[in-house]
Amino acid sequence: MLMQKSSEGAELSQVEEQFRQVLLEAIDEGLLVLGENSRKALYFHLQNMFSLKKEDVPDRPEAFVEGLKKIFGAGAKAIETWILKSLYQKLGVKYEEKKNSQFEDYLNDAKEIIRANATRKA
Amino acid sequence: MVGLLAIYKIGLVLAVVLTLIYAFQGFYPEFMVSFSNAFPPFIAGAAVISSDFAFRKYGHDLRERFSLVWLCFTFGMAFWFLGETGWAIYTLVLGVEIPYPSIADVFWLSGYFPLFLALYWYVKTFGFVLSRRTLVILMTTVFVLSVLVSAVLITPILGAEEDSITMLVDFAYPLLDLVLFSVAVLGLAVFLKGNLGKSWLLINAGILSNVGADILFSYMTAQETYYSGHPLELLFHFGYLLFLLAFYAHAKEL
Repeated sequence: MLMQKSSEGAELSQVEEQFRQVLLEAIDEGLLVLGENSRKALYFHLQNMFSLKKEDVPDRPEAFVEGLKKIFGAGAKAIETWILKSLYQKLGVKYEEKKNSQFEDYLNDAKEIIRANATRKA
Repeated sequence: MVGLLAIYKIGLVLAVVLTLIYAFQGFYPEFMVSFSNAFPPFIAGAAVISSDFAFRKYGHDLRERFSLVWLCFTFGMAFWFLGETGWAIYTLVLGVEIPYPSIADVFWLSGYFPLFLALYWYVKTFGFVLSRRTLVILMTTVFVLSVLVSAVLITPILGAEEDSITMLVDFAYPLLDLVLFSVAVLGLAVFLKGNLGKSWLLINAGILSNVGADILFSYMTAQETYYSGHPLELLFHFGYLLFLLAFYAHAKEL
């Protein structure tokens, strides 16, 4: 029983770790649409205005979205879309826009996909 | 780097000083002729520097969208700067009556192309977030504005018995301004609620200032009532000032 619990815990942290890694790569790639210097500038502003480092985004996606909205207004939605497209592509799933779904909802779905993939492999 | 608020204050002071210079021109008519021709290259040059500042910030790799956008803004402003310089050379250096259209018009009209590309590429990147309803409302507004501008200009221009190229140029400026506005207003709709909205608000104000200036200029030229130092020039100066502030604000906000 104890062994089963610890293996579940390890699997969970593996999923979390994989999710973090894939999301950070997707953010980097998504923001590259603007260009390398603009991406750097955006990270700088997010850290300056919201004390949000790139590495913190998987833990605080709502602060990331808030930061994007503060800078880009409605244009933040475009950036979210680029990031999500890149994220879903990395997971081998086609990104499809869903009505009333927020950025965080898509991230949760992505996490579920990673978890399902991990379970299937196990 | 100078703070954004300080730049806004400097811009406001400059706008007030310019207005006062034009308001009291009756006291110094000779100075006004020189000022009217010599000042535009300076303010247009400042707008080129501001745009180039943003271009340098966003990088020189032309495969990147923002680099290309800011290169086009800089080229557009540079063409307008050459137009202003050409005009100044005609009047202040050569001392001849400026032909219309002239080489200055070639530069000014050429400037619209890179400016349109800059706005188009920028808005295209983000524009898909706009709802169909917003697009329809904004495009209808621009269409109505274009019809109004054409209606205002058509009688005086056709009645002025100008040759066809002159008439074409008379119409070209305000209509090309509206083409720029039709794209810029979409950018404003996208970014209005964000910090970049300030920059887009200034870009739109700059374009609208030019719309007003170009309508008045085309109208006055057709009526042969335009003179060096005419208060309508203020709108051209404000246009450059607003562009200058817009580019600087963008580089500061992102």
